[in-house]
Amino acid sequence: MSNPIKKIMVYVDGTEQSITAAQYAICLASFSGAELIAHYVINTRAVEDLLKARIFLKDEQVEYEHDMEADAERYLNYINELAVKKGVSVIKKRSRGSVHREIADSIEAEDVDLLVIGELSRIRSRRDEFFDETERAMRAVSCSVLIVKDEDRVWEMYESLV
Amino acid sequence: MALIDLVVEKIVKIPLESQDKPDTIRELVQILKDAGEIDDFDAVLKAVQDREDKQSTGLEQGIAVPHCKSDAVASLKLAIGIAKQPTNLFFLLVASPELSGPHVEALAEIAKLARSKAFCKALVHAENAKEVVDLLKGK
Repeated sequence: MSNPIKKIMVYVDGTEQSITAAQYAICLASFSGAELIAHYVINTRAVEDLLKARIFLKDEQVEYEHDMEADAERYLNYINELAVKKGVSVIKKRSRGSVHREIADSIEAEDVDLLVIGELSRIRSRRDEFFDETERAMRAVSCSVLIVKDEDRVWEMYESLV
Repeated sequence: MALIDLVVEKIVKIPLESQDKPDTIRELVQILKDAGEIDDFDAVLKAVQDREDKQSTGLEQGIAVPHCKSDAVASLKLAIGIAKQPTNLFFLLVASPELSGPHVEALAEIAKLARSKAFCKALVHAENAKEVVDLLKGK
């Protein structure tokens, strides 16, 4: 049987959980030889909603989109540095729109076998308002999903990778 | 980080005691200070006031979402205050400038919540912080 995981995508949003997920994905890519894509989505959909809801001013819409572009650059570069240290190459992917939709579409377009995401909220809520974008992505994608937990253990695994 | 993870009793105050907007904002920032969520009260207060000076973040149905970016915090910080006379619901959100994505998503979650009239009505009629936390967590 050939390697069932040829392409891995890790979703990065700047949270500690997503950085831990990226470390795990780097280890997986190294062990399996799979191609690794790090994806950051600039959530322009949410910014537009906030403008409509009058929580954001027009100036803020522009400012926050600019900030998120800069965050995307910074975090994707950081993931790339983490990967390069371990001899793994990463394809940096940045898109704009609704986070869960962009991830699901990219999974299809890139024919990804496995989505790696950070730990979800530990609190269960029955309210739809509190399904965050990572959770929505997990539900929306067509491929298998790996949820990374235990930051300390993942760090040790990443550090021990030669 | 989901918004729900930030909701704990110590960041909820019922009722707010302030009678006007500047004092209410000060009281909301004080909730964060008292909860041990921030160290630099003045820096956070100034950042929130500066944003409110541009335009109030008051929505319909007596809901306001004052918010700002501040170097005084390293993560997202939320405070919830409920005024009883008149009834008003306040969500204060302060975020590190390096967390614009999670900041935007947390604000979007609050905006979605604010669209539910029945739920907001239940929130403003809550008697104490535990009731608010239970409502938000769907208990």
